[in-house]
This record gives sequence, C-alpha cells and structure tokens, in this order.
Amino acid sequence: MTVYQECLQACNASPIQAKKCRKLLSRLLRLFYAGETFPTVESTNLFFSISKLFHNDDPSLRQIAYLAIKELCSMSNDILMITASIMKDIQNGDAVYKPDAVRTLSRVLDGSTIHAAERLFKNCIVDSNQSISSAALVSSYHLLPVAKDVVKRWTTEVQESITANKVFPTSPYTQHEFTGYNKTPNSTFIHQYHALSLIYQFRNNDKMSLIKMIQQLTERKTLTNSLAQIQMIRFVEKLILDDPNFVHSLWPLFVNWLNNKSDMVELEAAKLILNNTSKFNSEQQMHAITTLQSLLGVPRTVTRFAAVRVLNKVAIKDADKVGVCNLELERLISDQSRSISTYAITTLLKTGNIESVDRLVQAISNFMDEISDEFKIIVIDAIRTLSLKFPAKYKSMLTFLNDVLREEGGFNFKNSIVEAIFDIIKFIPESKEIALEMLCEFIEDCEYTELSVRILHLLGNEGPKTANPSTYVRYIYNRVVLENSIVRSSAVIALSKFALINDKDLNKSIKILLKRSLQDVDDEVRDRAVLSLKLLESKDLVEAKSYLLPQFKYSLPILEQELTKYVQNPDKSSFKSSFSIESIPKISEEEYMAVQYKEKLTGGIDDVIVDGSDDLNSKGNESNDDVKGLDKISDVTKYTLLQQQYQNELSALPEIGDYGTLLHSSAPVELTEKETEFVVTAIKHIFPKHVVVEFSIENTLDDIILENVNVVTQLDTEEYTEELTLPIELLNPHSKGKAYSSFTRPEDDDEKFMLTTMNNTLAYLTKDVDAEADEEGFPDEYQIEDLSLTPGDFVIPTYISNFTNVWDELSNEESAVYNLGDEESVDLQQVVTKLIVTMSMMPIEGTEVVTSGKNHSLKLFGKSIAGGRLAAVIKFAVSSKGVMMKNVVKGEEAELVELVANYLE
Amino acid sequence: MSFNVSLYSIDAIVILDNQQNRIFTKYYKPPHETPENDLITNIKKQKQFEKDLFKKTLKQNTDIILFDNHTVVYKEYADTIVYVIGGLNESEVLLYNVLQGLTGAFEIILSSQLDKRSMLESYDMLVLAIDETVDDGIILETDASAIAARVTNPPTEDAVNIKIDLSEKGLLNAFNFAKKNISERLQQGF
Repeated sequence: MTVYQECLQACNASPIQAKKCRKLLSRLLRLFYAGETFPTVESTNLFFSISKLFHNDDPSLRQIAYLAIKELCSMSNDILMITASIMKDIQNGDAVYKPDAVRTLSRVLDGSTIHAAERLFKNCIVDSNQSISSAALVSSYHLLPVAKDVVKRWTTEVQESITANKVFPTSPYTQHEFTGYNKTPNSTFIHQYHALSLIYQFRNNDKMSLIKMIQQLTERKTLTNSLAQIQMIRFVEKLILDDPNFVHSLWPLFVNWLNNKSDMVELEAAKLILNNTSKFNSEQQMHAITTLQSLLGVPRTVTRFAAVRVLNKVAIKDADKVGVCNLELERLISDQSRSISTYAITTLLKTGNIESVDRLVQAISNFMDEISDEFKIIVIDAIRTLSLKFPAKYKSMLTFLNDVLREEGGFNFKNSIVEAIFDIIKFIPESKEIALEMLCEFIEDCEYTELSVRILHLLGNEGPKTANPSTYVRYIYNRVVLENSIVRSSAVIALSKFALINDKDLNKSIKILLKRSLQDVDDEVRDRAVLSLKLLESKDLVEAKSYLLPQFKYSLPILEQELTKYVQNPDKSSFKSSFSIESIPKISEEEYMAVQYKEKLTGGIDDVIVDGSDDLNSKGNESNDDVKGLDKISDVTKYTLLQQQYQNELSALPEIGDYGTLLHSSAPVELTEKETEFVVTAIKHIFPKHVVVEFSIENTLDDIILENVNVVTQLDTEEYTEELTLPIELLNPHSKGKAYSSFTRPEDDDEKFMLTTMNNTLAYLTKDVDAEADEEGFPDEYQIEDLSLTPGDFVIPTYISNFTNVWDELSNEESAVYNLGDEESVDLQQVVTKLIVTMSMMPIEGTEVVTSGKNHSLKLFGKSIAGGRLAAVIKFAVSSKGVMMKNVVKGEEAELVELVANYLE
Repeated sequence: MSFNVSLYSIDAIVILDNQQNRIFTKYYKPPHETPENDLITNIKKQKQFEKDLFKKTLKQNTDIILFDNHTVVYKEYADTIVYVIGGLNESEVLLYNVLQGLTGAFEIILSSQLDKRSMLESYDMLVLAIDETVDDGIILETDASAIAARVTNPPTEDAVNIKIDLSEKGLLNAFNFAKKNISERLQQGF
C-alpha cells in the first residue's frame, strides 16, 4: 500500500518531479506484473492521479505513464475521461510516445465512442512513421470485436499502408549505448504484418478479392517482412481448404516460400503442405520434405525442433516419404535437446524397415537410461506400433519391453509398457506364451494394483487357450494369497475361467482353490468365489461360460450416450420403464479386434499424445485428455455417434418421429456455392418407408429477413411421393435454420433402391430488416442445385477385417470401366477421397491413401440398409491414354451391386 | 490442425528468477473480449503453471518445450529465465524470434549482462521494452535494436525545485509580490 500512497502523492505534487515519478510508476508496474490487483476505487484514484502527470512534458515520463494507464484501464471506472488528453497527445505530441498514446486510446474507447477518434486513427494509419502506423493498425485490430463496421471504413488507409514505405525514426530520448550491435534498421516492415491481418478480417468472406490481393502482393514481391509472409501462407491455407483447386495456380508461390531466406517462412509453408496432404500431389509433398530435411541440420535448436516435429507427424501417416531424411534423423538421435532426439527416434521407428529394426531397438536401449519417464512413454508407444507393423520381430521387441519393465519407473511408464505387451499378445498370436510368461513374472512384484488387475484379467482370458494352462494357475493363486482385496477378487475370477476348459483335474483343483477364498476377509472376494463355484457346479457349463466369458461386448460410447439420454429425460414418466440394454449394439469379439487393430496401426503416436505426455505431472491436462479422447474414437464409432445424433434430432420432430429407426444418413451435400446469398446444404436420411431431406439454410445477407422458408421439390420419378414439408418460420440475417421435406419410399422389393433426382427451389417471403412488424414481406424464389438420391445413400460404411475372404464369398458381380482423362488433370488422391464419400463405403486395409502416382487399388466395404454385404475394388492405372479406372463391385443384392457399379460421378 | 490467422499469437510472457519468484508475468488477452481461459484470470493456476514449467525447464539447456497445451520458448541466464508462451500450433520459430528480439533489446538497454539485479534496477525500461514487443498478445516488433530504440531512458535529473534568487532584483521582486498579496488580503478582509 505504501507504493499506492507514494504514487498518489508524487502525482499530485507540483511541480512534477519526472525522475521520481518514473521510478514510482515502475514500482507500481512491478506490483501489477507480479500478479497484484487493486480494488476498483483505489485503481480509479490511481488512474486519475496518473492522468495529472500529463502536465509534465518529459517524454520518458509520458511513455511509462501510458503503460501504467493501459494496465489500469481494465480495473478502473470512468476511463473515458482521459480520452481528450490522449487525443491531444496524438495530434501534437512527440513522436516518441505517440504510438503508446494510440495504443492506450484503443483501450479507453468502445463501440459508441470510437467515432470521435475515427479521423485520428486514419491519419495515424497512413503516418510515415512505422511505429505510429503499426500502433494504429494493432489498435484497430483490438477494436474489431466492438466496432467492426467502423474499422471497416478505414480499409483504404489500411490497404495503402501495406505497400507504403515507412521509416523508423529514432529519438534523442531513446539513445542507448549499443553494445556491439548493428545500427537500428531504417524500417522493419512489421506494419505489413499488421495491415495484412487487418485486411484479412474484412475480406475473409470474399474469396475472389482475397485471391486478387494475394496475387498482387506476391507478384511485385512487396512483402519484405517474414511475419507478413507467414500470415500470407496462413491465408492461402484457408483458401485451399475451401477450394483445393487453387493449389495449381498458387503452386509457384509455394516454390518461392520453400526456398525463402527466412527459416520461419520455409517451415510454415512446409507445414501447410504436409498438414493437408490430400490437397497436394506427392511431388509437391516431397518438395516440402526436402526443405525440412535441410532444416534438420541448422544450428538453431528451435528450427530443428520444429522441422523434426513436422516430420514425425508425417511419418505417422506416410512413413515412406520421410525415409529420405533417415540419415539426418539418425544424426539427431544424439542431439543435446532431448525433445529433438526423442522425436528423431520415434520418427525413425516409423520409417525404419524390417532390416534396421533390430539395430534401432539396440540404439534405443542404450539411450533409455538417460531420458525422463515422459520420453520413455513416447518411445514405448513407438515400439508398440512398430511391433504390430513387423510381427516377425516380436522376439526382440519383447526382450526390449521386458528389460524396461524391470527398470524403475512411475505408473504411466509401466502402464504404457504393459499396454504394449497386451497389444502384442492380442495381435501376434505366436508371441502369446513368451509374453504371458513375462507378465506373470511382472505381477509377482508389481506395486500398482490397477496393472495387476488388468494383467490378471488378461491371464484369465488368454491363459486357458494356451497349450499348458496349469502353469498360470500357480501365478494367479499366488496373488490370492499375497495381495490386497481388489487384486484378490480379480484373481478369483481369473482362476474360475481356467475351470471352464475341458480338463477334469484342473477343474477339480481350481474348485479347491476357490473354496479357500470363501473364508476371505473381504466380502467382494467371497462373493466372487461363491458365484464362480455356483456356476461351475452346473452340468454343461453353458451358463457359466455366458457369465464368465461373454462372447460379445457392448459399444461403450453408444451405451454412454444412451444412458445419459435416459437419465436426463425431462419426462419423468419414462423412468417407469427400466433402461433397455437391447438398444445398444453388440460388437462381437472379432469385430472389436479388427477395429482396434486398425486404430493401433494408424493411430500410433500422434502429436497430441506426444504433447500430452509432456505434462503428465501437471494438473491442467484435462483438456488434453479430451482432445485425445476425440482423436481416439475410430471412424466406425464416429459414424455411429453421428447417426445417433441425427436420430435424436429427427425423432424430436413430431411429424417425423414415428417414421421408425433411421437406417442411414448421407454426408452433407452442398446445393449452393459458399459465397451466395443463401447457403444451402442437404442431408438425406433414409427411413424404412420414407426419405427425409434435411436442408440447412444460412441467410448471409445483412439486411433481409426471410420468413416461411421452404424448399419446393420436383421429382423425376413417380415412385417417390412428397408427404410433407416443414418450413423455417423465420430466418434472421446471418443465421441458420433447418427445413425438412419428407417423401414416401417405394416398398416393393425390386424398387427398394430406386434412384431419383430432386429439382429444388427455395421459396420464401423477404422482408427488410428495418420494416415494420406488421408489414407483409413479398414472396420470392431462389434456384438451388438438384439433389440426387444415389446408390451410396443405401449403403452404410462398415469395417471388416478379412476383406479378401468376403470378397471371394460374394456372388453377384458387376464391373464398369471409366476413363478419367489425362494424367495431368487428375489427382488420384482427390478421386479416391471423393469416391469414398459418394459410394459411402469404408476403405479397407489403408487403401484410402494413394502411395504411388501410377497405380492404385482401393478396397471398399459396406452394408446395404437391408443388411446385405457389399464390397468393391477400384483399380486405377495410368497409361498414355489417360487414367483408367475399373470398378468391380460384388454383393448380396444384385440390384444394388449393379447400381453402385454403374453410378459414379 | 489449421493455422491461426488471428494476430493474437502470444499467450504470455514470463520472467522468473532462479528461486522461481516472479520478476515479470503477463498473460495476454484481447482487450475488448472476455477471456475464456482460466490461465488468464486465475492467479493460482498461473502460479501452478509457472511452477511446473520452471521444474521442466531449469538447467535443461533446450530452447523449446511443448508444455500443457502450449509451445514455450525460453532463454536461461545466470539467475533468470525469460519465457515466451504461445499456442500449441503456433510457429515455433515465430515465438523464438519474439524471444530473441526481446532478450536482444534487454541486452541493449541494460547495456550489461542480463541478471536479476540489473533487471530490477532498470525495471522501467524492462517493462517498456516488453510493451513495445508485444501488445496484448499481438507482436509489435521482433527486431532487437528496433525494440530498444522505442524505449526511453529515464529522465536524467529532476529540475531543482525552488530557485532562490538572492540578487537585489530578486529581493525586490519578492518584496513586491508580498506587498501585493498582503494588500489584497487586507482589502478582502476588512
């Protein structure tokens, strides 16, 4: 508080002592920056005292006074009072503190008071002093949320300042004794960065003017500031995400960026390309990788780190491409920065081929002692992915894992090792005996209850299937004798599973062991022992098996969702009937494994997990877990969850609610361009007897209100008849709404998969925003694109593990050949991605990624809404005549097979 | 993962000493928006964050770390560490350039090696340098000498407050001043 008193005193003194005040203010600021805050009354007092310092003209005092005022703005009242003094400074003050004045002004103003300062801002933006211009641009940017329309009026000035030449003047007040540094530059051109970003805020909805600006600025090479160039790269990314066709015309820019003199620009461009691999062809991607390769050798740690981080991410999806960097990466293993060496190793583990695996694992075991737990976890994760990739190498992997398992380590570390071993057991059957042996030894002295329980569960499941089950019984029973009650109870269940195999002796001994547990001190252990014994007494063990070794699992994400829905149901009467487990889809063991295998192989370690593990010790990683959780959900689950959501939304509508279960929903289809007055997308929902089209309509106009928005549809076939439409009653400017149309579907078997095209028109009443409430709008129409019911709408993407077997089983076959045009104009990856969406089938065996430019074969699988299986193999071949595509479809329903094979866009 | 096109790229700047005491900390938020992130408003969380970060970075001799959903670049001096903290997907080199500009400017204005003592002694210049580098999360400048050239030196001497003029003319002036005042008082009072 003494600082507060002294500040008040010094500020109110007359005449003002500049040196003393500056010292005091710096003490005050020190309090702020240590985290202190003042109550509103005190800070308002301070605010006004400091404003008295404006009587003194010393620029060095004024500069720090502005900083103090800026910090006080957020805590004080009536800050508007100071506006006039600040504005006077901006007009007539010294150039030294003018930028500070401008920046402070933007804190004081709000949406209603900004008008007074408009001319001032405009003048400052075009000022030839770089600092003033920058300060004004940044301040305008700060003001965007409260006064976008006002700031928008300064567009001309902002645009001018991008290209204008600004200088960086120095003042006698800021001369420092330079210690061996070069002189202050004439201009750093940083204002370009600020101006460009501000312009983008005005134009981000207007693709054409944006692209025009990019072309203008890059043609004349006006952007000298590398931050501004980075910003440009980011804009280009947004453009490309919207419309991949720009890649072709903008590629020369990328070549330029990838060979820039600033490593920051090179990295950013490479990141853009490698983050959006589907938009760039492999030659272009290689270009980016070569750039990164050269950056791996630079002296700057941060650059190396950034480069290896990108490469690591690429390696997850596409290890072969990163292979060229292996030499550089191996050099990085001994990098002094541990993060870099860890990234290098994990990348190498992915790019490595079967010959180099042993060598790598050897190199890592030398290195394991030196790194922290978090990094070890990353390495273990990489090893896990690697062992699934090269099943033949399981022996050396297991030896490695066994060695590290014996080392000291925290729970997370041990857990990741155990996870890795679990996966190896699950997916590499021949490794089972060795791995189980290792786990058995581990639980002999395992300090973590959770791990013991999981291992016991696994032993119970896998042990009985091995050649010599009785060996495991001893290990498990040891747990019953030695451990705490949680471990004991899981050991009891594991034991009873051994009794289920057809071995009389074993059966008998296990019953004896279980009987001993009846005397246990813990009730849970006793309960489980009683239950197991009771079940084992029964004759044929069928019942016992269904309880102890169930053959299926419930889909957990859906179970969770359904339960929440049940509990949160506002209608209390629904609690009268109990929750029905029947509605949760069951997944057979085999399907579950297949899905998991796919995830494990592709998921591996991604950036999020690496980043997550960096902060295992910190408490604030809940959000991190969320991200991880979302990422880990497989495609299949995502699809099911989305369907659930649609079903919920639709059943909430009384007109549609009784249509029954939703069989399939299509991906959203765009019916308009993204920049038009009304943006319309449609989703097709197939019900047993109906088709419901959900139109999502966005009104992008500023001043028009739409009422009674409806989609008028004309069909080209008579089999479908329109049943009802649900219009949007009111659509305000910049808002979205949903309209529905429903049609009855033909029920005859041979017309089940009838295709049709809908000719759509948007009909509505328009009204001006300012119009009176009782004024009638006038009717208008807006033509939108046709919507087709495609064969894909009748197909549900489904995952399957043994594609080849099923392929041979299916009988009805149909094929079609297409010529896609010459090689130059066709991007295979794009075609493949589009096919997956239009055919609405699941890519199998990782064939959704095009690896070579010449030939590719895509394998797809799905089920029809009636439940019939459907498989497709699409082969691409590039020849002198162009890119040929052969589409072979097989399935159980002949009619659908024919449709799917012949319907391609 | 797509780039952040907003100008707000710096989440925080933190300077700690080797006992993990705060020398300077500022968590940035756009001035006209309400913050969503706890880290900006909750001082307890900030301290915890700094504590964990400090533990991870002390004597590690790497310039960068990914920490708790942030990219953190830092520079360690004899008894202080300067951190620049940005988002997870922020360009690492961009953050590092900010750090270099900032520490470079410190070296110029403090015209000596960077230690806690000189930082506290010239705290006014230190905070001005930071304010001229980052304005509520927006990078203002990354060139060290340009940043330094924006920072004013403290005023040299306070002007002597009262000058007592002892010359004959001065005494006469004082006398006249007193006379005028007294006569006014008298006229008002009586």
